Amino acid sequence: MKAGPSQEEIRRHNLGTLLRHVHLGGSTSRAVLADRMGLNRSTILGLVSELSSAGLIREELPQDTGRAGRPSLVVRPESDRVYVLAFDVGVDRLAAARIGLGGVFLGRRETPWPRGGFDSGEVADVLAGFARQLMDTARDGTLCVGLGAAVRGLVRRSDGVVRSAAHIGWKEEEFGEDLTRRLGLGLPVSVENEANLGAVAEHLRGAGTGCQDLLYLHGDIGIGGGIIAGGQLLGGDGGYGGEIGHMVVNPRGGRPCGCGARGCLESEAGERALLQAARRDPSATGRDAVRAVVEAADRGDISARAALHDVGDWLGIAVGGLVNILNPRTVIFGGTLREVFLGSAAQIRSRINSHALGAAREHLRLRVGELGDDAVLVGAAELAFSEILVGPLETLARTGA
Amino acid sequence: MTATPILRLRGIEKSFGPVQVLHDVAFDVHPGEVTALVGDNGAGKSTLVKCIGGIHPFDGGEYWFEGERVQVHSPRDAAAMGVEIVYQDLALCDNLDIVQNMFLGREKRRGLVLDDATMEEMAARTLEGLSVRTVKSIRQQVSSLSGGQRQTVAIAKAVLWNSKVVVLDEPTAALGVAQTAQVLELVRRLADNGLAVVLISHNMNDVFAVSDRIAALYLGRMAAQVKASDVTHSQIVELITSGRSGDLGLVHTNGATP
Repeated sequence: MKAGPSQEEIRRHNLGTLLRHVHLGGSTSRAVLADRMGLNRSTILGLVSELSSAGLIREELPQDTGRAGRPSLVVRPESDRVYVLAFDVGVDRLAAARIGLGGVFLGRRETPWPRGGFDSGEVADVLAGFARQLMDTARDGTLCVGLGAAVRGLVRRSDGVVRSAAHIGWKEEEFGEDLTRRLGLGLPVSVENEANLGAVAEHLRGAGTGCQDLLYLHGDIGIGGGIIAGGQLLGGDGGYGGEIGHMVVNPRGGRPCGCGARGCLESEAGERALLQAARRDPSATGRDAVRAVVEAADRGDISARAALHDVGDWLGIAVGGLVNILNPRTVIFGGTLREVFLGSAAQIRSRINSHALGAAREHLRLRVGELGDDAVLVGAAELAFSEILVGPLETLARTGA
Repeated sequence: MTATPILRLRGIEKSFGPVQVLHDVAFDVHPGEVTALVGDNGAGKSTLVKCIGGIHPFDGGEYWFEGERVQVHSPRDAAAMGVEIVYQDLALCDNLDIVQNMFLGREKRRGLVLDDATMEEMAARTLEGLSVRTVKSIRQQVSSLSGGQRQTVAIAKAVLWNSKVVVLDEPTAALGVAQTAQVLELVRRLADNGLAVVLISHNMNDVFAVSDRIAALYLGRMAAQVKASDVTHSQIVELITSGRSGDLGLVHTNGATP
């Protein structure tokens, strides 16, 4: 039997925790860190000097405090020096970003991509090209410490294989491995579902900061879902959990869904359902088309209003059911669902209030995503940072710093 | 969500000459929450707000603020307590820039001259605290701003003075969808930062999107004040149009009691 954690393990844990505080909280004084971590000042001093000699953080004078007296030093992440690459395989765009420790965007590349079939190899090629361009802009002495990618599909947690991604026509694609090989950085690419990453991003840096139980719904071509329960992303057995868009809400009269079922939330309340119900030109798709429906409803267009009414109903029914099961504190509407929520909030709230149990909904907050279109990239970056935040010095040693 | 209201009105009566406008109105506003004030045209929303802001004196009733009974005789009294009202017309001066507007009538001085540096810094800090990123320069003239940006400046002006209660009269009425979204996010952020916000709106989607409580006025009386997690859209519409919905709302004044 193993005794308690060794001193070495405790120190490693503390280094990771301190780095996480600075990464998420930005400039923080040592006194505040000591307070938040429940450690004494000399321990904090030791941890800070170890991390700063490793080049992960630095101490400096704060910007004008406006108070008299000698200001105390603050600990800052070395955002310019330590970074990750985040990739987003959207349904109509590919994006990559270089994001520094602390969550600072240092550079980004983006290209539109036709909807429909995506060849996995071609996508990996484009993204690897973006990665090289982004890394060329980095100064000497900077260091890439992780790679994360978001895909609109089901991703196996154990090896990152994309099992299926209906909107881009992928099945059993070893995308993570492929991208890892093409990048050739000696670092593996972690792959995760896009809405799961959106949930993580809003939880750590957006509308769900400080909230341990939240639901995130992400609208683009479909509806993705991510669930944070007790502060942790809910992945389920294989990592496929949280597919709120494929919760069946209307099995009898519902529309067929791309997944093969009938009446999924995505087929009833997704982009296509909204645009069809609002009698929009079928060639117009995407965020602008959804926004046009909400604008038309605001001006009084009756088919747009009816469409938002219906979509709001289905969203409220789905969220109401989930509130009974998961009792979240916050439900966040991201992607195009941000506009849809603002245009049908009365319907969504009413359905939740009549379907969810009183105690489960009493403190429920409905919010729109704060990170906007960046949520997925921010989440992918957090995925890429996860290793260095667990064992900072070990990860640095591995990446050859 | 706290249990004790920061602002509490009881038994408010108000008449303009022979016209009775408010009768026995009770109204609670809680810190950290958005309280929506809804009602038909002429239900008394604007009068109630003007009474809260000290423009009209009450004829009768009690005004409690932070647990103490207070007398509010002028907008200056209300502002001194930390109650700010943003009216529909915003009361911004087109020919002045953002900083000048935010400090209009309450300019900071250093000796005999205006202390521009301090005012600029305070304005910038306030806008930053509200995560306002839509305004390019705070030295921009207000005439060059969009409707949403003007609303933002008017709201920032209201929170600049460490105010505790901010009342917004139809802040999204004249705005398009994208700007409405910005203003609603700002409204929500104010409350999440701990302020008590009162939002007057006719748009039920706006009301349900951001508010924690909904107060419905009907013909000068408070029909009901309910939590947004306890009512449906149709109940609120009923309260607005008939003062009553199921168990909620006013007991009819024909002598019947429930």
